[in-house]
Formats: sequence, structure tokens, C-alpha cells
Amino acid sequence: MDMLRKWAFEQRAMTAFLFVSSVLTGAMMIGQAYFFVTIVDGVFLKEQSFEDIKPLLWGLLAVMLLRAVLSYLNGRTGVKMASNVKRKVRRMLLEKMTRNPIQSALAGQSGGKVSVMMDAVDEIDSYYSKYIPQVIQTSIVPLMILAVVLYEHVYSGLIMIITAPFIPLFFIIVGMKTKAKSEEQLDKLAAFSGRFLDTLQGLTTLKLFGRAAKQRDLIEQSSLDFRDATMTILKIAFVSTLMLEFISTLSIGLIALEVGLRLVVFESIAFSTAFFVLVLAPEFYLSLKELGSAFHTGRGSMGAAKKVMDELEETEQPVKWGTAEVSIPSIELRNASFQYRDGFSLKNIKATIPPNAQMAIVGQTGSGKTTLLHLIAGLFDPSEGDVLVNGRPRSDYSETAWFDQLSYISQHPYLFSGTIADNIAIGGAKGASRADIEMAAKKAGISDLIKSLENGYDTPIGEAGRGLSGGEKQRIALARAFLKQPSIILFDEPTTGLDLKTERILQQSMAELAKHSTVITVAHRLHTIKNADQILFLKKGEIVASGPHTELMKTSMEYREMVLQQGGTVI
Amino acid sequence: MKDVMVVIKLMMAEKRDILYSILFGVLAGLTSVGLFAMSGYMISKSALAPPLYIITIMTATLKMFGVAKSISRYAERYFSHRATFTILSNLRVSFYEKLVPLAPGIFQKYRSGDLLARIVGDVESLQNFFLRVFYPPIVLVIVFLSTIFFTTYYSIYVALTLFAGLILTGFIVPALFALRQGKIDSQVREERGALSTDVTELLYGFRDLKIYQKLDGKEKQLGKSADLYVDGQEREGIHAVFNQSVNALVALMISWFVLALGAYLVTEGELAGLFLAMLVMISLTVFENATPMALFPAHLEESRHAAARLFSIVEGKSEEEGSSDQLSKEKAYSMEMDGVSYTFLGEKRLTLENIQLNIVAGSKTAIVGPSGSGKSTVLQLLLNMYLADQGDIRLDGSPIDSLAQESIWERTNVVLQENHFFFGTIRENLMIAKDGLTDQEMETALLNVRLDSFSLEDPVFEKGENLSGGEKQRMAIARAMLKGAHVWLLDEPTSSIDAVTEKQIYDQLFEAAKDDTLILVSHRLTGLETMDQIIVMEKGSVIESGTFDELMNKKGYFYEMKQIEKSVLL
Ligand SMILES: Nc1ncnc2c1ncn2[C@@H]1O[C@H](COP(=O)(O)OP(=O)(O)O)[C@@H](O)[C@H]1O
Ligand SMILES: Nc1ncnc2c1ncn2[C@@H]1O[C@H](COP(=O)(O)OP(=O)(O)O)[C@@H](O)[C@H]1O
Ligand SMILES: [Mg+2]
Ligand SMILES: [Mg+2]
Repeated sequence: MDMLRKWAFEQRAMTAFLFVSSVLTGAMMIGQAYFFVTIVDGVFLKEQSFEDIKPLLWGLLAVMLLRAVLSYLNGRTGVKMASNVKRKVRRMLLEKMTRNPIQSALAGQSGGKVSVMMDAVDEIDSYYSKYIPQVIQTSIVPLMILAVVLYEHVYSGLIMIITAPFIPLFFIIVGMKTKAKSEEQLDKLAAFSGRFLDTLQGLTTLKLFGRAAKQRDLIEQSSLDFRDATMTILKIAFVSTLMLEFISTLSIGLIALEVGLRLVVFESIAFSTAFFVLVLAPEFYLSLKELGSAFHTGRGSMGAAKKVMDELEETEQPVKWGTAEVSIPSIELRNASFQYRDGFSLKNIKATIPPNAQMAIVGQTGSGKTTLLHLIAGLFDPSEGDVLVNGRPRSDYSETAWFDQLSYISQHPYLFSGTIADNIAIGGAKGASRADIEMAAKKAGISDLIKSLENGYDTPIGEAGRGLSGGEKQRIALARAFLKQPSIILFDEPTTGLDLKTERILQQSMAELAKHSTVITVAHRLHTIKNADQILFLKKGEIVASGPHTELMKTSMEYREMVLQQGGTVI
Repeated sequence: MKDVMVVIKLMMAEKRDILYSILFGVLAGLTSVGLFAMSGYMISKSALAPPLYIITIMTATLKMFGVAKSISRYAERYFSHRATFTILSNLRVSFYEKLVPLAPGIFQKYRSGDLLARIVGDVESLQNFFLRVFYPPIVLVIVFLSTIFFTTYYSIYVALTLFAGLILTGFIVPALFALRQGKIDSQVREERGALSTDVTELLYGFRDLKIYQKLDGKEKQLGKSADLYVDGQEREGIHAVFNQSVNALVALMISWFVLALGAYLVTEGELAGLFLAMLVMISLTVFENATPMALFPAHLEESRHAAARLFSIVEGKSEEEGSSDQLSKEKAYSMEMDGVSYTFLGEKRLTLENIQLNIVAGSKTAIVGPSGSGKSTVLQLLLNMYLADQGDIRLDGSPIDSLAQESIWERTNVVLQENHFFFGTIRENLMIAKDGLTDQEMETALLNVRLDSFSLEDPVFEKGENLSGGEKQRMAIARAMLKGAHVWLLDEPTSSIDAVTEKQIYDQLFEAAKDDTLILVSHRLTGLETMDQIIVMEKGSVIESGTFDELMNKKGYFYEMKQIEKSVLL
């Protein structure tokens, strides 16, 4: 992957250092072999005294020390490079994740996305901590060794030149497969993560349907799939190491034979030269072999990088925004349409919403009420037609300015893991005071409950927090709207889960809000609907009737039927 | 350490692979020492101009050693990794199994992203336990002792040096590092957990974060967590590189010492010069096995920590046993609560107080009351999801704690206030209801809840995010209807459904539940006239109960609520 290499060479100082330290390491290897051979030669054949070889011993010690220091510095540089890239990549992923339009954010499994963020990025690590340092080292050290061997004994050098290319050739072939396999492995891990997280969320449901045990089998299957994918990659790695070892032992054997024959039969070289060559030959092949396994890990990282890139490159049409500021808005939907990816569509919506209007959206379930609110809220762009704010397309306005004017209590508000106060404060501008939060809670009719709790507003809720009843959750979310006094409020079935008595308490605060803002409510309950200035009656994504209650009662059969149903018997 | 024992126990299931790993590990270690010893010996021997055939034989043996070494190394890797990844796979499953009985209470203590980090990240990091902590020391000691034994034939001093080297690189240096290891590692695991948790929450709460324009802030915060995690890994990585370099240096020093000592002995005439190269080669090779020991403490610490993080969640609470009685399959059962009180964990206030309920088999009961009065909690107690603190609950006349939980769930059709839908298709989500459902049955169920516009292949996003609120509720009702049990517990099943559709669905539902016991929690009072019993709850107590007419005549709480409803309907 070009990106990975680019990121490596962007870190110029570090790569330069790796080059320098590789040259030094090569020198140390040769030095170590030289001292070692000379010492053995000295005492074994030349019958030197211990005093004679002492300086050589000290030299060897120094070389070894330097070699260790270099290996530390090399490793450390690799780790640092990897960290820099991982930081960068995670930031890019995060940016992409938070910029995603809402639709693509909801598609796919969360666990899988978490896995890309965690596991795939971590997998990139070894490209920098192992592969790059090794590539640099292997592009230098074997050449240095070769040069020395050629100088000392040409024929061994020639054997090296002839045999060496087999090694890279071989691992290139193997590496090809690795990349695809490692993508597969990460896919399996993502699938496992996705399945596990989804199962975790639905564990109660699964238990109630007696499926927890069945699901265990699925989890086990995902888990085994991941194991198998991992093993496939490892097997490739092991087989390739095995092959490389065969090639290198064979080559070293050839060299040994050649050197041995010359030494014993032809007596054409000195023992020290022969020994020197024989000590250097394994280092030569080792370096190539290590590149082999580093190459393997590197290819694995490339697979991971590809996953990350796929995630980053997925082009999404983000909702368009401009820079204009928003004042108290009037909103107009002019023949606006919207379609989910070849699914449900809102067609040709026409509506005018003057400032401070009280609007209700009604319709059967699935008729597109929530979708319409999303469209008005600016979570979607219309595919055709326009959403006009004060006569200009909504896309002219700045996103922040727009959302500063707007509160949207969605149908399934999410409670974040945090205190009650935090959860309410999220609805307002930064730095809402505790008094404001308490006031908002009071208006939402939830303050009595909160006060009854031991830690009051500091009680943790959401995941890893205290559980709440359905209606209580709803009211916490409502408090978010009361905290901010926006000029447009969108409520999606704000009173589901609430009894009439609690709802009546709320009604008052809502009426108060409505004095200074446009309120658009999706509702099923008649009393909410009746008070609206205007009702949009949706059916299958189209507005089939609109107007105030009394008018609709006269003009729309379907509307009348719905109203009668509420007053009449249900069961 | 206790948690590590759990891992070891799981590991023992792979006994054979473990034995193979050790066996081939030793073989690989010995052959590679042999290989280098031979080559050192051979070259020295050649210098003394031996007959050609000796060289030929030695070269051939060398080849054999080489091949044997490569193959054993391959086998060792293969078996040890196969064992490891099988162990990890089993570990994940066993973690899940232990998690199941803890739901739903567990979610008040742990966040799902955190649990995900544990089952993926912590389990993954346990791979080092087997690969680096458990068996390599065994291999190391065997290879070393054999090598040392071999060298005693040539020089007892060299053998002693090697032994000292083993102690130094295998034990003392790692032990010193263990002291330094400190908490570096545990922090990384925690940081990983934090990042995974935050990313998960970002995804789950995306819509609200978007609406409240908190995404930028979240991005910054997550960026920081991510950096912290990478910083931790970096520290850990550099630490590892350092330890390894130091241990490698110590090993080199020992080989240097062997060389110096050997050279001295040769000059003193106590060792034949012929063997010097061989001994040094042996030393250089055998210590290659010891260098990785530098990471032993880090890996041990990491494994210990990961195991502890994994099992701290699930430990202790084994499933309640002993209750194995089954409810009858064919008929509706009765439900009674007698003086039941319940308090959620960590609450000071009673959630339910002295509840009396008598639900006759085959009857239809409605529970009404303000939000937070305990309606859902009553249903959960009847499902034995929580155990009452006081009082008796009897299903079909048997105390609830004598019944197997699964048997209760199997015999009830439940629609919760919030129902989960899985990533997949409509079919997959409906199939959960029962084994062996046909497409036909599922399509009929969809029709019954007016969802016939959907096909079974239609995709369902995670948490049913591509379904409208009412569609999700109807899907849940369809799923309950498919299950076909004879007791129904319905918790505000139609709160997001318009009145017209609601009526149609209730008609179907009550037809299907004609002879069954049914409890319905509802905020809509219209239509409750036909119920056999209405239970009114407030603040955790039952304040009224009776038929619609009885309650209206009583002019109590229910009557008052009914008046409110009337007033808003006018
Ligand atoms: N993200 C989505 N992708 C595809 N289809 C969707 C998505 N969200 C909702 N829908 C479909 O759009 C239709 C309208 O949904 P919605 O606006 O939520 O209805 P409601 O009127 O009940 O609020 C439904 O049939 C629903 O299945
Ligand atoms: N997991 C929990 N931990 C502590 N308190 C809870 C938990 N779940 C619900 N509660 C509290 O118990 C009371 C009853 O809740 P619930 O039965 O859900 O009410 P509802 O009648 O609305 O269904 C509420 O006050 C709620 O705050
Ligand atoms: Mg909706
Ligand atoms: Mg409830």
C-alpha cells in the first residue's frame, strides 16, 4: 500500500536514522565475525599467547556493545514511527466517523466499526515497527556482507549472488496471498465483534426467546472462523519460513562445501578466510530470511491498512451547509422529496411553517413522520425540491448556527453513560449552570424523581448506570429541550410512555416553550393534535391533507376515522 | 493468579498440542545448537587436513541437522499456535456463556464497548500467555541443560559459564525487569478499554450527538483517548525493545566470556583448540533461545491483568441451580403475587412495596399507573428476571423459585417496552421466536400486525434503526405471536402506533389470546372495559384493582384518570 510507504518516508529523520544505523549494524556484524575468527585462528592455529589476543577480545566486546545499542535504537525508532502513524490514522478515522451523514452512521454493525478503529489500526503497527526497519536493514547489510565476502573469497560471494534472489522471489509469492488473507482475518474479527456487541445489546430479548444458547453457537462459530482465518495466515507464514530455511541451509551448505574443499583438498585458502566466510554466510541469509518474515507481517499490515482505507474512502454525500446565520426562521418545504437507499420515500412535501407556529404531524405508523422531521431538522438533504429557511435554501446556513436554534427530541433519545446532569446538559449550550439544569428537569416533570435519588443530579445513568423506566428516560430527554430555549423545537412522539397525568404537567411547560418558538410535534394523541395551528396528515410518504383540526374533520375522511378511533372503543 | 488458573484450566483441554509444542520446541532448540556446534567443529577440523570422506560425512550430517531443525521449528510453531488460538476461541465462548446469566443486571455495571474490549482485546492479549509464558521456559531449561551437559565433556568451566548465563538471562535479568515493569502494562489495557467504550458510545448515540452538535467535542475527546492508548503502547513497545536489547547484550557478553575463557584455556593447554570455535558457536546459538525471556515478566503481567479483567466481570455468580420444575406447556397458567417487595440493587427506596396480585389462568388483566410506578418491574418479576426481596410469587400454583427460568420464558409471549432487533433480515429477527417456523407462518404474522408491505428478506439494521418506532413495536408483537405460548406479558406494546392500526392489531392479538392469560401495561384507558381486571399502580404499590365498572364506581384514582382522558378527548 502506497499510503503506508508514504507515511513512512514522511518521517524523514527517522528513516534516515534507520539507514545510518543499518550501515553501522552491518559494520558491527562484519567486525564481530572478524574479531571472532581472528581470535580463534590466533589461539588454535597460530598458537598465539593469551596476551596477544587480549586487544582483539576488547575489540570484540566493544563491537558487541555497539551492536546491542544499535538494535535498541533501531527498535525504538520503529516503535515511534508506528505510534505516529497510528495516531494519525485514528484521527482520520475519527474525523470520518463524526462527519458521516446520519444514514451511513446507522448502517452496518457498530462492533465491526469499533474493530476497524481498534484492531485494524493496531495491526498497522508492525509495518513500521518491524517491516520498514527490516527492509532498510536488509537492503544494506547483505550488500555489505557480500562485498566483504567477495573481497575475501570470490567464489563464495558468487554462490551468494546466485542463491540469494530465490529468497525474495519466494516470499514475494507467499506475501501476495498473505495480504488477501489478512483482510479476511480482520473481516472475521470485525464480524465477531459486530455479532458480539449486537448480541450483548439484545441479550434480554434472546433469553426471553430461549435463544441465548443458540446464539452461543453462533458466537462460537464466529470465534472459530476468526481462529481459522488466523491459522491460515500463520500457516502461510510458517511454511514460508520453512522454505526460506531450506533455501538458506542449502545455500550455506553449498558455501561450506566449496570452502571446505578448497581448504582441505586444494589448500588454496587460509583457515581464517574460510572460517570468516562461514561465519558471515549465516548472517547474510538470516538478514534475508528476516526480511521474509517481516515482509509477511508487512503484508498483513497492508491488509489492515486496506480495511482502514476502505472505511476512509467510502464516499458519502454529506448534508450540505453554508455560512449564513439563522434568525427566527420561517420554514418552507417546497416540493421536497427524500428517499432512503431504494426504500421508502417522502414525496413532494409542501408545507409552510411560519415563525412561532404550532405544527402537528400525524399519520399511521411508518407513514414517514420521523423521516419528515429528520428532513426538516437538516439531518437529510432533500433529493428533490427545497427546504427553505427564511426564503433561502437551508444549505446556505451554517450548521452550527442552525442547530443552535433547534432542539430535536427524537423518538428514541439516547441516554449517554454519565450523570443525569450531564445527560440534560448535552441539550444546551456549553456551561449550563446547575440551576438551569434543575429548572429544565422541573419543567420536564422529572425533578421529583431526581431529588429522591441518593446522588440526585449526579446519579449515573445510561450504560453502567442506574436504570430508569421508559417514561423517565423520555422526560430526561425532554429536559434537554427545556434547557435550551431554541427557536425551533421538533418533538417526535414526546409523550410515549407517559401517563395522562404526567403528560398534563408537561403540557404546561410545552405551552410555555411554544410562546417563543416554532414547535413541530409528531403525535398520536388527540389533545396534542387538536391544539396545533396546522396539521400535516401523512400517508405513505405524502401529505394527504393539511390544515387545522376543525377543517380536517370536515375535509378528510381518514382523519375523521382516526379521531373517532381515539374517542371510541379500541379493544 | 486465580484468574490465570482459569486460563490454565481451559488450556489443559489442548494437552496434546501443548506436549507437541514442547517436544518440537526442544527438538528445534537442540538441533540448532547441534547444527552450529557441528559447523564450528567441522571448519576447525578441516584446518587440520582430515581425509575427504570425513568432510563429506560431516557436511551430510550438517544438512540433516539443518533440515531437522527447520522442520521441528515449523512443527513447534504450528502446534503452539494452533493450541493458542483454539484456547482463545474457547475463552471467548466461555466468557459469553458466563455473561448470559448476568443479563440484564450486568449493564448497570459495565458498558457494552468495555465488554467488547475485554472479549476481543483482553482475550487476544492472552495469546502471549501460552506462546511466551507457559511453555517456552520449559523448552528453554531442557535445551540448556542438555547443552550444558554436552559441554561438560570438553570443558567444565565453559559448562559452568553457560549455566551462569542461563541463570542470568533466563531468571535474574527478567526478574530485574519484572521489578521495573510496574503498571505500564495495566494502563494500556485500561486505555484500550476506554477507547473502545467511547467509540461504541459514539456510534450508538450518534443521532443525538449530531442533533446537539456534540460530535466535534466527542471527536476531540476520542482523539485524546486514542492518543493516550497509542502513548501507552509506545511506552510498552520501547520498554520491550529495551529489555530485549539488554538481555541480548548479556547473552553476547556470555558468549564473549566463553570465547575469552576458551582462548585462555587453549593457550594454557587445557582445551584442544579444535573445540574452541564449536564451544563459542554453541554459546551464541543457545542464548538465542534465552533472549525472549526478557519479555517474560511483561507477558506474564499482561496475561495476569487481562485474565483478571476478563473474569472479574463474570466471577462468582454461577447460575442459580436446583430450580428445575417445568411449567405446563399446553395451557395458560395463573400468576399470583403475595406481599411482594422489591428494591433495585443500590437503591434506598422500595421500587415495589407489598404487591398483591391474583391473575387467574385465562384472564385478561390491564396494569395502569403513572410513569415510574413499577409496572414494568412487576412484569420483570413475573418473568423471574429479578428475584423478589420479600413475599411469594407463584406461577401455576408453584413458587417461582422452584421453576427453571427457561421454562417460564418458554411459556410466555413477551413484548418489552424496548425490544431489540438484530442486524440481519426480517426473517432472522422473526426466526428467533421458535424453531422450525415456515416462511408462510412468518408472512401471516407480518400480515396480522399490518406489516405485510415488508418482505422477509428486507434488511434490518442494528437495533432496528431503519424501522419506524411503530414498525418495531409491531415486529415485536409479530414475534411474540409467532412464539405461540399461552401467557402474554405486554408492556406498552403499541405506544408508538396510531389508533387505527392499534385497534386492528389488538383485534388480532385478543383473538389469538382468547384462552390465554394476558397482562397488558397501557396508558390508554379507552377500551379497558372488556378486561377482567384492571390494576392501578402508583409509587410501587397497587392502589386499586377491579373491573372497569367497579373502579369507575369507586371514584378513586382510576376514575380521576378517566376523567382527565375524557376532558382531553373532548
Ligand atoms: N434508515 C432507514 N433506511 C431505510 N428505510 C427506513 C429508514 N428509516 C426508516 N425507514 C423506513 O421509512 C418508513 C417511514 O419511517 P418513519 O418516518 O420512521 O415512520 P413514522 O411515520 O412511523 O415515524 C418506514 O417504512 C421505515 O421502515
Ligand atoms: N435498573 C434499575 N435500577 C434502579 N431503579 C430502577 C431500575 N429500573 C427502573 N427503576 C426505577 O424503578 C421504578 C419503577 O420502574 P418501572 O417499573 O420501569 O416503571 P413503569 O411503571 O414506568 O414501567 C422507577 O422509579 C425507576 O426509576
Ligand atoms: Mg416515527
Ligand atoms: Mg415501564
